[in-house]
Amino acid sequence: MTEDQIDDGIDHYETSEKISEADRVALRYSDMMANAPDKIGSTIYAELSEHYADAEIVELGAFIGFNIGYHTFFGSLDFYPMFTPDGRLVSQDESRHIYGDTPVSHLDGAMERSQAPDEAAE
Amino acid sequence: MSEAKLDRLRAQAAELGAVDENFIRLLSQVPGYTEALFDSLTRSHVDGDVDHKLKEIIRIGLARQAGDPYFGTLRSKPAAAAGLTEDMIEAGCGDFENDDRFSAREKWALRYARLMYTEPKTVNKAFYDEGKSHYSEAEIMELGTFIAFHYGMQLFTRAIGLKVAPG
Repeated sequence: MTEDQIDDGIDHYETSEKISEADRVALRYSDMMANAPDKIGSTIYAELSEHYADAEIVELGAFIGFNIGYHTFFGSLDFYPMFTPDGRLVSQDESRHIYGDTPVSHLDGAMERSQAPDEAAE
Repeated sequence: MSEAKLDRLRAQAAELGAVDENFIRLLSQVPGYTEALFDSLTRSHVDGDVDHKLKEIIRIGLARQAGDPYFGTLRSKPAAAAGLTEDMIEAGCGDFENDDRFSAREKWALRYARLMYTEPKTVNKAFYDEGKSHYSEAEIMELGTFIAFHYGMQLFTRAIGLKVAPG
């Protein structure tokens, strides 16, 4: 799994050629749970059933719900990852500089910012 | 998961009342999740230092926000035994800010749950600073994780269309 695939799976999952059809349907389900729960119905479950067993659909649904719940809570706590994208332990101030106040792609500057700690400390 | 373990969870669920047979049956399709999710759900509700009755009001209010009839319908038996009434649940899910039956401390917790997923940007440092005048940091974390976990599970049961078991 590369950062490029992660970005593509988040931003362009409906058209991406870097993910499978099974992945695409799972990502659509996740998007709907987060942003359009009223649209969840028999259609998406039929699509999911083409690629996943019932147990896997339950696993996906619980995982997605859990993540939606926790990410909003964690966001309110104003804390940042302990490590840079390449694994270096950093302070919360430096991490805030690297990752910014809202979630961003690691390809969108975070990696470069993590490799310039002196600049971050200024 | 063994039948004996499932029976233990069923017995715990029956004792609590806020989870029923249908949720256990749903989770049991993913054996690796069943016990962990059930324990997290029930312990976060019943254990800890924050009043269980207040958590029960929060849980039901969140279910309504999530549009989840499953968790919104079920009621905690320990909370009812401790004196929580439907009237207080309705009050806590309604205009609690102007209700003298709730303390400032309880109102902050109810506000915390209501704002978390409706106006998350308002749950900021100033909001948490106010919370610290009512609760310890451990209690705030207890409330926050409770809110996050239960809301997440309610989104899941809403999506899956889970219904309360008859009877």
